[in-house]
Amino acid sequence: MLLQDKPESRVLLLGNEAIARGVLEAGIGVVTTYPGTPASEIGDSISAIAAEAGLYMEYSTNEIVAVEVAAGTANSGVRTLTAMKHVGLNVAADAVMTLAYIGVKGGYVIVTADDPECYSSQNEQDTRFYTLLSNLPCLEPSNPQEAKDMTISAIEISERLELPVLLRPTTRVSHTRGPVTYGKLTKPNLKGEFIKDVRRMVMVPANARPMHIKLLEKLRRAKEISETSLYNNVVREGNSELGIISSSSAYNYAVEAAELLGLDASILKLGMTHPLPEKMIKRFLGNHEKIVIVEELEPYLEMQVKIIAKDHAPNVKIFGKMNKLYFPRKGELSTRTVTKGLAEITGKESPINFKKIDDEYADITKDLPSRPPILCAGCPHRASFYVIKKTTGEKTICTTDIGCYALGIAPPLKVGDILICMGASIGTAQGISKVTGKNTVAIIGDSTFFHAAIPGLVNAVYNNHKVTLAVLDNLTTAMTGSQPHPGTGVTGMGNPSAKILIEKVAEGCGVKYVEVVDPFNIKEATMILEKALQHPGPSVVVFRAPCALMEARQKRRTGIKIVPCKVTDKCTNCMVCIKLLGCPALIVKDEEVTITETLCTGCGLCVSVCPYNAIECKRNG
Amino acid sequence: MKEFNIVLAGVGGQGILLAAEILGTAALKEGLNVRVSEIHGMAQRGGSVTSNIRMGERVLAPTILEGTADILLGFEPIETLRNLRFASGKTFVLMNNEPAPPLGLTTKMISYPSSDEITKKIRFFTKNIVVMEAAELAKEAGSILTQNVVLIGGLAATEKAPVKIESLKDSIRELVPEKYLTVNMKAFELGYESVQRKTKLWSS
Repeated sequence: MLLQDKPESRVLLLGNEAIARGVLEAGIGVVTTYPGTPASEIGDSISAIAAEAGLYMEYSTNEIVAVEVAAGTANSGVRTLTAMKHVGLNVAADAVMTLAYIGVKGGYVIVTADDPECYSSQNEQDTRFYTLLSNLPCLEPSNPQEAKDMTISAIEISERLELPVLLRPTTRVSHTRGPVTYGKLTKPNLKGEFIKDVRRMVMVPANARPMHIKLLEKLRRAKEISETSLYNNVVREGNSELGIISSSSAYNYAVEAAELLGLDASILKLGMTHPLPEKMIKRFLGNHEKIVIVEELEPYLEMQVKIIAKDHAPNVKIFGKMNKLYFPRKGELSTRTVTKGLAEITGKESPINFKKIDDEYADITKDLPSRPPILCAGCPHRASFYVIKKTTGEKTICTTDIGCYALGIAPPLKVGDILICMGASIGTAQGISKVTGKNTVAIIGDSTFFHAAIPGLVNAVYNNHKVTLAVLDNLTTAMTGSQPHPGTGVTGMGNPSAKILIEKVAEGCGVKYVEVVDPFNIKEATMILEKALQHPGPSVVVFRAPCALMEARQKRRTGIKIVPCKVTDKCTNCMVCIKLLGCPALIVKDEEVTITETLCTGCGLCVSVCPYNAIECKRNG
Repeated sequence: MKEFNIVLAGVGGQGILLAAEILGTAALKEGLNVRVSEIHGMAQRGGSVTSNIRMGERVLAPTILEGTADILLGFEPIETLRNLRFASGKTFVLMNNEPAPPLGLTTKMISYPSSDEITKKIRFFTKNIVVMEAAELAKEAGSILTQNVVLIGGLAATEKAPVKIESLKDSIRELVPEKYLTVNMKAFELGYESVQRKTKLWSS
């Protein structure tokens, strides 16, 4: 559907799919990415059609590599896009900050998707502050149509200024479907040429200083673009003292909340939010007495608007979240939260009695059992965690990392004591082990291992830290939708490639104790983990078994029947299986332990823990 | 149509995202503006999943305001309760009666509310409620995985349906892989007939 060359047709697309369509309409030749919610579908949509569309895409090892590869292609004149989640930009920041000095020749867009409310992230940082840090221009779409259009505009701006441009959607843009009107497809140009130009390309101090000046000059020109950008405009002229400034998804809530309250406010919508259109904002401030800034997360616009107001409209009153929190600074906004803030500022009353709804709702839902996310039935991580907990006991500190296995913290397994960012488990484990003198286990996934654990592992060997790294290798990037990675032997183009083995990498790093185990073979896995814990230096145990979802999909495709486990009449309802494993397929029905056939994958883990040998499984004979 | 809001509520694996896409595509076919919002990633691992669909001339926000849902399509009873804050006296609730027991039930032995308790709580918010046996009908159609399409068929049979039956059927044909299409069309019909029967019983 994305490849249809039917301009003017109207299609329902996810924001991320719309960005992928923008790639095709802009004639982008190279897409690099590391998957991460809420950005993953950008790369995945491109991966599915890259060969047919005639462009190159890759799942890079991590975000900084993705940006570095892109810096090479874009500086060889090929239009390029890199997609990542917000925290990915932290990983890529070192390259981005200096690439801003060098600039680009072919248009280059960095998509960095923010996740207000931390739906699937470890923080809810406001990535817009990177624009002030790097001086790069930034576009913020508010819906899927804009996500597509802005991808194309970002390429145009990037080529005009010879500067990378940031595109910053949020979860509610990336993961909202809306109508998108197609434009023409542009044939991608993949052929580039790198022209030597040491002064521009080699950022040694003598070259970096003049390039910094050039960057500031580009920023001045970017401001002119922002002043006349179609994405920055007064979308509604009101007849009151009130003016609203907003951007991104927050703009949608602001318009609907103002309508709900019957406010006759002017609305300035900003789509290009770095650099800001200073003259336009100055005019808007001059026409109103009260200005309300509606934005998600940090007061990024508010700070800058206040700076403009200080010089040009010192008497205008500005409401947002700096002096007083009219809108929350954490979490995502909604029509409700914006209505509440606007009502407080204007003294109007909301036509919906939210308090009444809340009270009634609290009463109705107070006893409802919660449903936190858990590891899937048949997930090999459950077996690995069972082995780790059984071997190390409750007291051992287990540092954990970013991926499905972060769900190991849920009861009854409860494995995972600190989680910071991609690759941090191996580093934090070393610090803890150093000062506590106790066995410490670092947990990491396969894709995360390649992404960020290798320098940490080298550090453990170099500085001789006694830690055990448990790599929970499920042979895919499971959490973000099963993308391939360097250990899978497949590329983003769908071509076969070298399979990089984690155990060989560990050996190459100088780890003396490296073993690979099947987590479902509890006995052997336990024995090997015990040995690893006794090893005097750093040790690595790779727990290898495919992701249950991936395996089930493969079985369905190839027509192999999944045979669920069965509880026999030997069962005494002792609940050991349920209490130890917390598998969603094991439930109590009419006071008896039963296995939900539609969920059970027949992994047989429950067979291994049953004290009465009362569960039958084909896998275990 | 100025604005029409549908809340979909259930658990991961019930096909809520596909159901939302079917409804959104059908609305687009009728020339309506649409917003379908969904949450991916962590939420899918057996957790609660919701999707908001908004259609109408001038919808902008991707999420629905409390108390303004026209339809609450419940894929699972307690997930339906969990989303009642979007309902008002005008909301039509179409709910699957098949419970998906949360893990807490198995480890801590919390009790699952009875079906009477559940409908009583919903009735406190709205009297317009139809309960469907979507799991049984899906099995009858040929696959338990078609509960989502059974519910859409049920929705199509109500007066409240914001889009035409044909638009929904066309959307299913577009979005469901061909080898599962026959089973899904059967599921749609069974859902449709079931709700038609129930609402006829009501009015007679």
